[in-house]
Amino acid sequence: MNQTTELNTGTDLVPSARVEGTSVIASIRGEIDLHNSPELRGAMLDVLLRGDPKKLILNLQQVPYMDSSAVAVLVEALQKMRRIGGKVFLTNLQPRVKGLLEIARLDTIFVVVKDEAEALAK
Amino acid sequence: MNPSTPQPLADDTGRRLELHLASHTVELSRSRKVIEQFASTLGFDETAQAQIGLCVNEAMANVIRHAYGGATGKPMLVVSEYMESPTRALRITIRDWGNGRNPAELPPKPYNALEPGGVGLICLRSLMDEVTYTPQPDGMLLTMVKRK
Repeated sequence: MNQTTELNTGTDLVPSARVEGTSVIASIRGEIDLHNSPELRGAMLDVLLRGDPKKLILNLQQVPYMDSSAVAVLVEALQKMRRIGGKVFLTNLQPRVKGLLEIARLDTIFVVVKDEAEALAK
Repeated sequence: MNPSTPQPLADDTGRRLELHLASHTVELSRSRKVIEQFASTLGFDETAQAQIGLCVNEAMANVIRHAYGGATGKPMLVVSEYMESPTRALRITIRDWGNGRNPAELPPKPYNALEPGGVGLICLRSLMDEVTYTPQPDGMLLTMVKRK
């Protein structure tokens, strides 16, 4: 069984993040637009730096809304993960977020799965 | 200048809504919700409300980022008006007094989902029935139409 280490992100936008083996699982919370996406970006970069994952799992259950600036944060994380041969999984997508990813044609670039368990099993 | 809560100015018919705003990212969420609520009262379904809200968010964010270069306290006027003819539709205009460029005049670039930028404009063109940028002597007027 993998050891789990909690990561304190210091922001309410990422209320929980943990390292499980070579995976980092982070929950994102809130409506995210240009006003707070820079804060999300900082938290994401910090999680990637400290967690050093091969698999980044972002649980978006508590994200009812995001705009293109939040999408840009996700894409930046994806780019960083790809450079080290890693993958980004998005789980628990809410309808508005799912719709935006489809419009941006990103739904096939990220690995979109139902929940964290499915992401961990892949 | 501190961001202020949008003060909707609705006319007697309830079919026109004006938001006089100062450029600040905090206005994005407030304005989006006000206009989504307005669309709801006009009978637009939830999907259309969400699409309208996202487009207003993206268009306002473009004004703040590009037309005003991130400067706060600059004027933005967002007018939403319901039209009965020629078709039932919501027309939203966003006026700024900045230095934005007309996207139609930008050199065409193939969309790459992995490169930053361009998603906001894609949203507008995908989700609205009409999108028109009209350069003004001192800024830009964006007109978006969403039919019922």
